[in-house]
Amino acid sequence: MVMMPKRVKHRKSQRGKMKGNASRSNFVAFGEYGLQALETSWITARNIEAGRVAATHFLHREGKVYLRIFPHKPVSAKPLETRMGKGKGEPEFWVARVRPGQVMFEIGGVTEDVAKQALVRVAHKMPIRCRFVKRRHLL
Amino acid sequence: MEKSLLLKAEIREHTGSKSAAKVRKQGRIPAIVYGHKKEPVAISLDVRNLVEGLHHGHRLMDVQIGKKRQKMIVKDLQYDYLGKDIIHVDLMRVDVTETVKVTVPIELKGTAKGTQEGGIIAEHTDHVEIECKVTDIPETIVVSVKDMDVGDALHAGDIELPEGVKLSGPPETLLVTCSLVAAAKTAEEVEEEAPAAPEVIGEVKEPEEQPSEEEGKRGPVG
Repeated sequence: MVMMPKRVKHRKSQRGKMKGNASRSNFVAFGEYGLQALETSWITARNIEAGRVAATHFLHREGKVYLRIFPHKPVSAKPLETRMGKGKGEPEFWVARVRPGQVMFEIGGVTEDVAKQALVRVAHKMPIRCRFVKRRHLL
Repeated sequence: MEKSLLLKAEIREHTGSKSAAKVRKQGRIPAIVYGHKKEPVAISLDVRNLVEGLHHGHRLMDVQIGKKRQKMIVKDLQYDYLGKDIIHVDLMRVDVTETVKVTVPIELKGTAKGTQEGGIIAEHTDHVEIECKVTDIPETIVVSVKDMDVGDALHAGDIELPEGVKLSGPPETLLVTCSLVAAAKTAEEVEEEAPAAPEVIGEVKEPEEQPSEEEGKRGPVG
């Protein structure tokens, strides 16, 4: 397991629904460029880590990568070849809930061209369609 | 210096999200006009003219409502969930001689000294709140980062403002820093640091089983 919370209130959670669009975290706030989600999905901790590694590897210690999502939600699963019943399975992995508009990754301290190339590599690691966004200076 | 733009507005008879959506379908943007202790008026503006004007740095606008022409400044913009399209505009009535408080974006100029030593420039705030005459609103405030070394920080109070412009926000607001980037953690390091399972709040850990002394002392009853 890669990223997960240090402390939780409940070990297991229900699946829940993800309706609508992101109403927060939908603009670039820390870096200069960002990767915005265009679909609703669970992004696993492995996806996030793969994206982070792809970006930092491409940047060669230049610039800074910001992660705007964190896997707060545990997903449980039953072991293979187990009969149904006997209660809910054990937490298997952790996911971040992402809705359209959410800025997932940000990069600062590099040129637009470099940031675009790095974020394209991150986008390939994501299970959803994404788009490259710039910081909005207009009001 | 501030440029002015002429926009023709139509008064909106109906307000609310449904009628605003209808207005947007017609290629217009719903807006509200307020200020000068007059009643607020719901209007709509042409998308193309407004967006073009904003991209050219216009903040002061001449808005024609019916036959009356008034000077207004753009106070707020609302965007859709992707941050692509403007969905609503707040306009405030102003006089040319009036002093107003506005937020203006800052523009970083130059390459910092510290970047040659491995540092990066981080922009913590991309705008400053200023007070100036309506006609003197600058498009951007240029901040030179040329002399910034690793570990240096630039606050709102440190920047040079154009003539007739006063800082109205707190001068200690952090704008830009130049700092070294910590080495990125490898996947193995991240995995080592992460706990196997998170601690559950309120869950009492079961103590290890030990033979209790009381049980041992108790003899057979009777």
